Amino acid sequence: MREASDVTSAGYGVRALIDGSWGFFGSDRFDDAAFDVAAARATALAKSGTKIADRVFALQPQEKVVAHFETPMTKDPASVGLSARADMLLAAERAGHVAKSVIAGYAFLTIWTTVKEFYSTTGSAVTQMLRQAGAGCGVSALGRDQDVQMRGGPGDFALYQGGGYEVVERAGLHALMPEYGREAVLLADAPALPSGVRDLVLDSGVLNLQLHESVGHPLELDRALGWEANFSGVSWATPDQIGKLRYGSELLDVYVDNALPLGMATVGYDDEAVKPARVPLIERGILRAFLTSRDTAAQTGLVQTASTRAQDWSCVPMVRITNIVLAPHEGTLASIIADTKDGVYVAGMRSWSIDDHRLNFQFGPQIGYEIKNGKRGRIFKQPTYTGVTPHFWGSMDRVSGPEDFVVWGTPNCGKGEPEQISRTTQACSAARFRGVTVGVKSDA
Amino acid sequence: MLDRDRALSLAETVLKAAAGADQAQVTVTIGDASYARFAGNYVIQNLDAVSTQITLTYYAGKKSASISTDDASPDSIKRIVAEARDIAHRVPPDSGFVSLPKAAPIAPATHGYFDATADATPDDRIEKLLPVFARLKSAQLSSSGFMTTQTTTSAVANSLGVRAAFTGTMSGLQLKAIAAKTSGFATFYSPDFSRMDAAGVSERAAAKATLALEPATFAPGDYTVLLEPSAFAAALKALTEGMGADNVLEDKDSWMVGRIGKRLFSPHLTLRDDWSHPLFANPPFNVNDGAQTKKLTLIDRGVVDRYVTSTYSANKYHVANTGHPNFPGNAVIEPGSRSREALLASIERGVLITRTWYERVVDPRRASITGITRDGVYLIENGKLTKTLKNFRYFVSMVDVLKEVEFSDTQVLTEPDADTNCSSVLPDAKIAKYHLAAQTSFA
Repeated sequence: MREASDVTSAGYGVRALIDGSWGFFGSDRFDDAAFDVAAARATALAKSGTKIADRVFALQPQEKVVAHFETPMTKDPASVGLSARADMLLAAERAGHVAKSVIAGYAFLTIWTTVKEFYSTTGSAVTQMLRQAGAGCGVSALGRDQDVQMRGGPGDFALYQGGGYEVVERAGLHALMPEYGREAVLLADAPALPSGVRDLVLDSGVLNLQLHESVGHPLELDRALGWEANFSGVSWATPDQIGKLRYGSELLDVYVDNALPLGMATVGYDDEAVKPARVPLIERGILRAFLTSRDTAAQTGLVQTASTRAQDWSCVPMVRITNIVLAPHEGTLASIIADTKDGVYVAGMRSWSIDDHRLNFQFGPQIGYEIKNGKRGRIFKQPTYTGVTPHFWGSMDRVSGPEDFVVWGTPNCGKGEPEQISRTTQACSAARFRGVTVGVKSDA
Repeated sequence: MLDRDRALSLAETVLKAAAGADQAQVTVTIGDASYARFAGNYVIQNLDAVSTQITLTYYAGKKSASISTDDASPDSIKRIVAEARDIAHRVPPDSGFVSLPKAAPIAPATHGYFDATADATPDDRIEKLLPVFARLKSAQLSSSGFMTTQTTTSAVANSLGVRAAFTGTMSGLQLKAIAAKTSGFATFYSPDFSRMDAAGVSERAAAKATLALEPATFAPGDYTVLLEPSAFAAALKALTEGMGADNVLEDKDSWMVGRIGKRLFSPHLTLRDDWSHPLFANPPFNVNDGAQTKKLTLIDRGVVDRYVTSTYSANKYHVANTGHPNFPGNAVIEPGSRSREALLASIERGVLITRTWYERVVDPRRASITGITRDGVYLIENGKLTKTLKNFRYFVSMVDVLKEVEFSDTQVLTEPDADTNCSSVLPDAKIAKYHLAAQTSFA
């Protein structure tokens, strides 16, 4: 057991609005003097911004909201003792040691509980008890030529969802590890995927990250407006293209739903007291909307999506991916593979890279299986693939149905300056993409 | 009370409450970080946050648990001690753990703290930004970036007598100047806010953004490149993140495996780890365990010299403790003898890369990376910048490309890395052969 830790943090953030200029001050000091300091410093920050005469004026919430929300759960984490958690992880780790060439295994779980309260001068009072959890595991094996390959999951790295300890149990680490062990052993002596153009089948876990990076981030409206240009980047999609831009194929239906069951970003209200609603972002491949905050929605006239989140009390709320869903269609992953003559099926994730416009990307899954005449064949390591966002999504010709649909969470999405880490969701099934460049050389 | 004294006092209080532990360690971090974040030549987020984080690591033999809180009240301290003790007794032992570090003198650190930074107000930051916005507007440029001032105190105390504390300040300006189809990036970091060269940053960013109206296409291939320090810092990380004892001795997935003592790089390359470099505001100890950080030469004129260790890894692998986390967090590349302008002038045909994005290690054993250029990449012809280019995806092995490298004679402090929060002190790097694998469709 390398780490057993518990982190507790309590504080408050004060947003002051003066003449259209926001100031934010966060503090973890709870006494009258500290409250006075927080109010004074938030005000001073807001006031300093008014020196910029031609700024775009910010908006304050107008409506009064009084509400309470709690993330549903079926198993309280407090009901599972620390010893039981440790035993489960250690047993899972041991289950991955299926051969002598397995050199390391890991298993972990994380549980978050957040008590969040929102009060504003309009009289709003929103209290929320938010819960998320996740668990993952993996195995590394050493090949004959000293190459180390790993295989882990579930999904891209782990299963993260909104809820209690049932999420950890749903991840099913112990059952996954022997297969991860066998695959890691095979990967360590497997050839790299040859470069070429192949049909590509992404399992749900890989598709989730693809969705996050090349659909979720580009549809954050603050990026499209240039607010993130210096760090997380901008977007190849812009609000003036709504209703016109072909983002992908007719099978690409994406919506935001921040009340989605099991979603990591599911809330009763967002961090500006906006109530979630299901909003189509892309319909039959055509851009329909963006993820918004109050300010960005007001500037563009777009619908609010309840997509602002602050990492914690010390951070200013900003537009985040929250919960996005790629609507399932029909069939199963197995039927897609059976329907593929010459392709590659990939699972798990090792590394990924995408540009700051969210157009050109390269993903490096953990494992690739060759598909020949509808059957899974030999294993490839480093089954990288590359593409350009609209071309790639435009080549999607199969999306499997509800049987493969999983609500995947991302616990560590970075954005903002200072960087804020947020928990997002991408829910999807599996999909096939035609004519993808695969096996790109990792160096030359 | 100074933050340094407050942090040590808090640590002492928690240690006393954890007296029943076989060993115990307390780290305290007190921070005050302000950001004026801007886009479109106005401030979009103007923020400041103060925080205190206390972490107790409680050992029962080889079993341990860490509990963190920002609540320093007596009730909270009681709670974290009880919880840490409870968990530590219930988790399995860590066979790799031997002991926390023993008390030892920590080298005095008199660098890295400036009142001008610690006392900077929101108005001070805005006053420095107003001329930046005016300069960009005069060139019909937009902007994105931030100005920050920060004060951070780190303290470590343990039951074996270690007491270490340090307060440092940092200021920074990152500026992306944005034209219709091109952009330019410049940055300045210093522990001393009074040295903030906002005018210089805006001039450099604006000049790059206005070099051309349209980004040009350019055939991918192997080119000589000049990496500005921001871009070089990201590439260098492919080496430094493989330089921990865990990577080299246990995971065996480091480029250093089998190469220590060998000449692997250009003789121009000397990499040191030096917390006391005047451009840094870094503590003289490992903030994870309080052990003195040694000043090291890690790559000496191209020869791979050594990896770094923490108390944990040094004990586990029976090697000397260098007082680092699992990587060198105070990286300094020795400067060369020629100016940046002279290096640029020496390139007949090449590419200037100012910044990169989403850089990932593809193969740690060769320190192979892929990433994409961003915020300005430029063609160099006959020693001059002649065109703005569209961005490139690159694939390189740092083990390979640093065989032919030359550095400029001026070091700068780079922006903190997003993962490690560590800066480096780096010159510009001229690399003879860099594989630009594909070009994107935009600038």
